[in-house]
Amino acid sequence: MRMHKVLTIGKRDYIATVRTKAFLFGLVVAPVIFGGGSIAMSFFKSKPDLNDRHIAIIDRTGVVADALVNAAKAKNERELFDKKTHQQIVPRYVFEVIAPDGDSKDQLLALSGRVRRKEVAAFLDIGKDALLPQKPVEEEQPFGSATKTDPATRVSYYTNAGGIDELRGWLTGPINDGVRLARLARLGVDIKSNTGLMATVPVEGLSLVERDEKTGEIREARKRSELEGFFVPFAVAMILAMIVMVGSAPMLQNVTQDKSQRVVETLLGAATPLELMSGKVLGAVGVSVTSSLLYVVAGVLAVNALGIAGLLPLSIIPWFYAYLLADVVMLCAYAAALGACCSTPQDAQNLAIVLLMPCLIPMFMLVTVLRQPNGAMATVMSLVPPFTPILMLLRQANTEGVPAWQPWVGLAGVSLFAAATVWAASRIFRVAILMQGKPPKLTEMARWAWRG
Amino acid sequence: MDAVQISHVTRTFGDVTAVDDLSLTVPEGSIYGFIGPNGSGKTTTMRMIVNIFYPDRGEIRLFGEGTPQNSTDLIGYLPEERGLYQKMTVRALLEFYGELRSGRNVKREVESWLEKLDLAARAADKVETFSKGMSQKVQFIAAVIPEPKLLILDEPFSGLDPVSAEAIRSAILDLRRRGVTVILSTHDMNLAETMCDYIFMIFRGRKVLDGTLSSIQDQYGDDTIRVSTPGGFPAVEHLPGVEQIRDLGQVQELRLARGTDPQEVLRTLLAQARVTGFSLTKPSLHDIFMRIAGPAAAEVNHAHA
Repeated sequence: MRMHKVLTIGKRDYIATVRTKAFLFGLVVAPVIFGGGSIAMSFFKSKPDLNDRHIAIIDRTGVVADALVNAAKAKNERELFDKKTHQQIVPRYVFEVIAPDGDSKDQLLALSGRVRRKEVAAFLDIGKDALLPQKPVEEEQPFGSATKTDPATRVSYYTNAGGIDELRGWLTGPINDGVRLARLARLGVDIKSNTGLMATVPVEGLSLVERDEKTGEIREARKRSELEGFFVPFAVAMILAMIVMVGSAPMLQNVTQDKSQRVVETLLGAATPLELMSGKVLGAVGVSVTSSLLYVVAGVLAVNALGIAGLLPLSIIPWFYAYLLADVVMLCAYAAALGACCSTPQDAQNLAIVLLMPCLIPMFMLVTVLRQPNGAMATVMSLVPPFTPILMLLRQANTEGVPAWQPWVGLAGVSLFAAATVWAASRIFRVAILMQGKPPKLTEMARWAWRG
Repeated sequence: MDAVQISHVTRTFGDVTAVDDLSLTVPEGSIYGFIGPNGSGKTTTMRMIVNIFYPDRGEIRLFGEGTPQNSTDLIGYLPEERGLYQKMTVRALLEFYGELRSGRNVKREVESWLEKLDLAARAADKVETFSKGMSQKVQFIAAVIPEPKLLILDEPFSGLDPVSAEAIRSAILDLRRRGVTVILSTHDMNLAETMCDYIFMIFRGRKVLDGTLSSIQDQYGDDTIRVSTPGGFPAVEHLPGVEQIRDLGQVQELRLARGTDPQEVLRTLLAQARVTGFSLTKPSLHDIFMRIAGPAAAEVNHAHA
């Protein structure tokens, strides 16, 4: 292979791509698409609905409602206003205790009507035996409830609120506190003079203790947040996926365009198919490295600005680039082969989803892998070459880390797979690039890759 | 030395044999014209010389022991299906193609060729703003920068206006004078006759003609006369001994049946019309082409098959 030809083709493709509006647009739009959701969420979180939340309670025990009313009062006093600006920042919770009328179905229907008319946000029905331990029952439950417990021991929460219901999340604590206090009172515990009975004990997340290599002293464990365990690996993997997709997706259109504009034959008069494809892949790698530098620099500046720089394990940056290069080479060669089989831009559009599969499949698995980064499924999937770059990096960015051999085996696997993809793609490319008409079948492509 | 030596080359696409056991020798410094009907195998042959297609059988040698694989830098190629990067400026595009072939800076050659083909004033414009004829000139320059030893032009004059065609023709002849070997395909028989040192005709994948124009014409004998009469075509329509008439408008080309005496034909003609022109000629390349690949030949071939 003559390197000057590869470099010349790569240089042209690189310049042609980074000068396009589509590339510049993609640089801005991709992070907005990926990060926009969380930005929008935090924006809307900062603009809550401040109308009072009225909640009706039917307390069939007669002793739990007071605890809820008191807890709401305490919450309102504590959280209703911002301490600095004195502006209301959360809605007020207002409880309305309603006496049970005996015929629970009519009363439940009436209260449901009030919820529909938005007079109350929700209502609670605290069963008469809620203070007793839960007893499983065999018979069918009312209203299709899935919980197979005695209805009299349950607390039922009725609402038509959709999505994430903060009220319900908050209620769980005070209801259980109320129930436990009532149980203690029944046992004769003086709960009035023992005010701290239900006080919660914070559980602090800490990293492992380690010895300072320089001084030999045992360092104190540092505080760990959810950010460290979830956000950082998630963000690192998403950035990699994003850059790989931004770098490799244009290759499909690029090759199809060269083919449909009849540029290819002139190029093939001066370079072999392998040189042509390698040059195009090189150009795409350049594009990816350019966008990655931008994202990495922006990311480092952002975590510094947010004061969470310590959460970003800088040691994974070399791995990030190793995986990035292997992934872009693999996907670009794959895209070039697919592009060579297309005759029109429409054909290429139809195949775009097939091209992005090696990125999309691991992205669907991010949360599952993060739950058990060293579980059997996470380990196996991160060693499957097309998925290695994103999933192995995700695992490496997790504080739990991975056994030292796995990244090396993963990288070796993905490098070999990328080389095999380039080899097979160049054979398909050579046969398909001058063909016109109906795109070939998968079996034909496999035959070309095998026989050349 | 021969620029190209093709030995028993066959190339098939599925069930179709595009080129069948072809052998051909192109002498260095010559202009070799490839003629033949559409789909006869001209472009496939050229693509094999340029290393775009590989022969299934046989071998191709370039300048002695060179192969298409290791000689691409010696070859300039103008494909039949023209295509240029539309968003690039003409200058950047030509520098790219030149650098791709030679691996060096070709700015000087680019400027010189732009000047020669009257495109210097538009060098900074994008290709997409060019007319078809101008784009074709640009593509021609892309094929000759840097100067190749072998220039392969697949229908270089198709779609060109006479002025542009003359500019390209003059540039090709100039390159030949500097020692460049030129292979060109064309459907213009007059151009092949006047421009090419050698003519090669391929029909249904097989070589049917190969040699200088006169050697080819010699194979077909002196069986053609050209006449001019004020009456035109009707005046010569029913002459005895005439096998086929080609009406060229002011002149009619008559192919005589084997054994017919041209003097006898002239006498008969003079007896029924005023003759303003009469010449005994060898068959034109067009006539030979039609004899091999025209509808009449197809009927004969079909009957033989």
